[in-house]
Amino acid sequence: MSGCGLFLCSVAARFCRAPAAFTVIRRPLLTSPPSRAFAKELFLGKIQKKEAFPFPEVSRDELNEINQFLGPVEKFFTEEVDSRKIDQEGKIPDETLEKLKSLGLFGMQVPEEYGGLGLSNTMYARLAEVIGLDASIAVTLAAHQSIGLKGIILAGSKEQKARYLPRLASGEHVAAFCLTEPASGSDAASIRTRATLSADKSHYVLNGSKVWITNGGLANVFTVFAKTEVVDSDGSVKDKITAFIVERDFGGVTNGKPEDKMGIRGSNTCEVHFENTRVPVENVLGEVGGGFKVAVNILNSGRFSMGSMVAGMLKKLIEMTAEYACTRKQFNRNLSEFGLIQEKFALMAQKAYVMESMAYLTAAMLDAPGFPDCSIEAAMVKVFSSEGAWTCVSEALQILGSSGYARDYPYERLLRDSRILLIFEGTNEILRMYIALTGLQHAGRILTARVKELKRGNVTTIMETVGQRLRDSLGRTVDLGLTGKLGVVHPSLVDGAHKLEENVYYFGRSVETLLLRFGKTIVEEQLVLKRVANVLINLYGMTAVLSRASRSIRLGLRDQDHEVLLANIFCSEAYHQNLFTLSQLDKHSPENLDDMVKKVSQQILEKRAYICTHPLDRTS
Amino acid sequence: MSWAQAILLARGASRGWGGICSTALTGAPFSQVPPQAPRGLRCSAAAHNPDSSLVPHPPEPPRRPVKALAVHEELFRPALDGARNKANFVRAVQNFTEYNVHKRGHVDFIYLALRKMREYGVERDLSVYNLLLDIFPKEVFRPRNIFHSIFLHYPRQQECGIAVLEQMENHGVMPNKETEFLLLQIFGRKSYPMLKLVRMKLWFTRFKNINPFPVPRDLPQDPVDLASLALQHMEPDLSARVTTYQMPLLKDSPDAMDPTETHIVGIQSPEQQSALARHDPARPIFVEGPFSLWLRDKCVYYHILRADLLPPEEREVEEIPEEWNIYYPMQLDLAYGRSSWDDYEFNIDEVEEGPVFAICVAGAHDQATLAKWIQGLQETNPALARIPVVFRLSGSSGELLPSSSELEEPPPPPPEGQEEEDSQQRQQQGQS
Repeated sequence: MSGCGLFLCSVAARFCRAPAAFTVIRRPLLTSPPSRAFAKELFLGKIQKKEAFPFPEVSRDELNEINQFLGPVEKFFTEEVDSRKIDQEGKIPDETLEKLKSLGLFGMQVPEEYGGLGLSNTMYARLAEVIGLDASIAVTLAAHQSIGLKGIILAGSKEQKARYLPRLASGEHVAAFCLTEPASGSDAASIRTRATLSADKSHYVLNGSKVWITNGGLANVFTVFAKTEVVDSDGSVKDKITAFIVERDFGGVTNGKPEDKMGIRGSNTCEVHFENTRVPVENVLGEVGGGFKVAVNILNSGRFSMGSMVAGMLKKLIEMTAEYACTRKQFNRNLSEFGLIQEKFALMAQKAYVMESMAYLTAAMLDAPGFPDCSIEAAMVKVFSSEGAWTCVSEALQILGSSGYARDYPYERLLRDSRILLIFEGTNEILRMYIALTGLQHAGRILTARVKELKRGNVTTIMETVGQRLRDSLGRTVDLGLTGKLGVVHPSLVDGAHKLEENVYYFGRSVETLLLRFGKTIVEEQLVLKRVANVLINLYGMTAVLSRASRSIRLGLRDQDHEVLLANIFCSEAYHQNLFTLSQLDKHSPENLDDMVKKVSQQILEKRAYICTHPLDRTS
Repeated sequence: MSWAQAILLARGASRGWGGICSTALTGAPFSQVPPQAPRGLRCSAAAHNPDSSLVPHPPEPPRRPVKALAVHEELFRPALDGARNKANFVRAVQNFTEYNVHKRGHVDFIYLALRKMREYGVERDLSVYNLLLDIFPKEVFRPRNIFHSIFLHYPRQQECGIAVLEQMENHGVMPNKETEFLLLQIFGRKSYPMLKLVRMKLWFTRFKNINPFPVPRDLPQDPVDLASLALQHMEPDLSARVTTYQMPLLKDSPDAMDPTETHIVGIQSPEQQSALARHDPARPIFVEGPFSLWLRDKCVYYHILRADLLPPEEREVEEIPEEWNIYYPMQLDLAYGRSSWDDYEFNIDEVEEGPVFAICVAGAHDQATLAKWIQGLQETNPALARIPVVFRLSGSSGELLPSSSELEEPPPPPPEGQEEEDSQQRQQQGQS
């Protein structure tokens, strides 16, 4: 995996060239070519101001265009989509699907030359806000284009694109992404599905089963990952993963009955079986044996949209719950007058604001020319927004009391629907590992030279480090240039900016110490990695809101003071969370209970049961 | 009453002095007192050292001359129905109290009853112990002044009370409130049986659950059940599955003694199965045993299927595949590992051992029986058919082996002569 990060960039660059070039033509250049990815630099205790400040904008034309397009979609979702019926029947009605197709929502990111809408990531995020109003439809569409056909866009050849994309973009064909197997979740080495080259080398014969395939029952085109035998450069035969485009018409493709799920019940999830399916050699996606990278790219590229999708849903939820809170009376007062209820609205608004800011900042980074690798940012958006969705919907249910729990109201459905967000597209635990490890890998490369010097006992380096630590401990004020005369943050947000700077600086120090302490064995320190990821997510969120609020003030947007409030609240909260987390990362910190936690879980897992005796038990 | 007490007090005092002045004197002046002393005087005939009697010791050192016990032996004669159960035991005790209103010789009776408890199967019954304690006359042995409590008051009776408690202790019977109340009535708060009781109450609760690998109190009688219990007791992996490869023939069947028809029960975990599947067929695996495992008072003999440790040069280095985790890197490309000041691993010298693939408990310990086990294992472990199996059985099965019952500990290699040289070939022939 060593060179994966770098390789990723280059592969992504190669795959992206055609559609990205297309995007570039459409979009004016807003930022200068980036030097480095934003999140990775945070690991070194630096803020890449150019990447995140000022908050990205779209041109007036583009905005008008998308607003024009948004109107009918919004109307359709609010007036015609019956989410309750979809949830109860466990199926999206055919006429709804037809309407979605006619609106062009099946080809949002397919380039225009192949009949899609060719939306940029920012535009896609904007549209996702509306689509997020119905989770089943959102998941169906996301499975179709975020992962299902994304492989063809990213890695497909010209012929493959011309052959498949038009029909996929129009919705005539639905796509599905087939990676997960009974024995293989994130473990690619245990994929059992196998593709064997036929004797005449004209086609592969595909055999195996895939599970939890969204759209598995609807799809006509599958992106399937299977093991193939590949002759290595040194002549040895190895099993490697290859991606295939498989049509249902190739034969031997069957699917099980739809799974009965807790939420997103309208989406179709089922098993898909391939039995001696003959796949022509032309349908190999990317290179033979290069399927792993294709899968990684597809998964990494699809995550950022969850941020705006959830934000859209939360905005709607705030409207509905606020209506309830302002009309229900208890003790001759509206619910809205109670502090404990007010607090919940602030929380929801804050979460929505942060995830929206993060999502659009990331989308703009992805849209920027130069093909930056924003997979960490996208993963952070996914983690933050999925967890925000869950907490906010749960808080909303608190406001609503019993009616939130009743099936007659939509709230319990929202709760069920939002639970899946923490699980699919990589569970949040796995994504935290990804966020932390990718960043640490980057920091490790930069710091290795320095660490080597330290280990060797180079006096100058040691003195430097010791001096730096000494200054840190004497309470140095950190200034990374966000504020001040040439600062990018508006003066009314100076407080938050200082907090961000301080956090970033000490985060960099902590990362350095962690790398020194654990070296490459940090891969095994999952609790440490989780904390690193949590701090980073907070830092990214802080950057996003500071950038966005600063822009709002400078432009004089409506209700900017409200934004400033939200930004300050979030920055303060995140700052203190970060301080706590960073202190937990210290050695011998009393806040760190990892050893005890590990011991408890070990004892439980050894017995596979809750260990404590019953409180009523006695020995005599 | 006053007369008897005066004498006792004098005796107690003198004995106490004796005890204090010279341990050599202990009990000497009184050892000649016959057990059935006239006038029902209860006094100690045995040498008494309060400290030593509080130390647990095997329950039955018969202190009384055997002849003397004949007095109450008839109470424990088998009842008409011949059953020895709690009802009959209780009846015997009741008979004693009924016909012996003065409770003459009750100490001897209690000692006798304590010995008989096991025969009647009531040695774990708290109510029976309370019944026995109830025989003691109440209030008589309570110390009445400070000298009584300083010097051992009614030593023989106290000792007897302690013996009752001690037998309870040996059988893990926890005294209850009633026991405490009885002892309070009989010996008073400041007496040695009371002290013993308090200590029992303190330590029993702490020791009751001290064994992290508890064995059920009543072991199953059925050998198959016992075997599976023993196997589960040894196997640390909770996913391991117990398989009965052969049920024993019924007792009344004529071939019951045929060793090939005894029970064979084995256990194997999924991990052991996959380890066996990965085993290099060129290397033989061994059936070794029998080793003993004690479950309370029962001994179970087991055999293990194991292989030798691979020599270091042949071990496969487990390498991280390049394309493994779709979501995050499984290793970092850093040149250094954990720093030494963050390495909390103790320097433990670990002896590596070869893998154990399965364990079995069989009624017989000969090769024919164990070959059946191997055949049974082949159904779930097809790889076993290709691996030569060598039987290394130590000679006699009925004997305790010096090696302990721990599973991980390999048995000392049996002498070369015992190893069956040709078994490997035979086994291969048999399996092919």
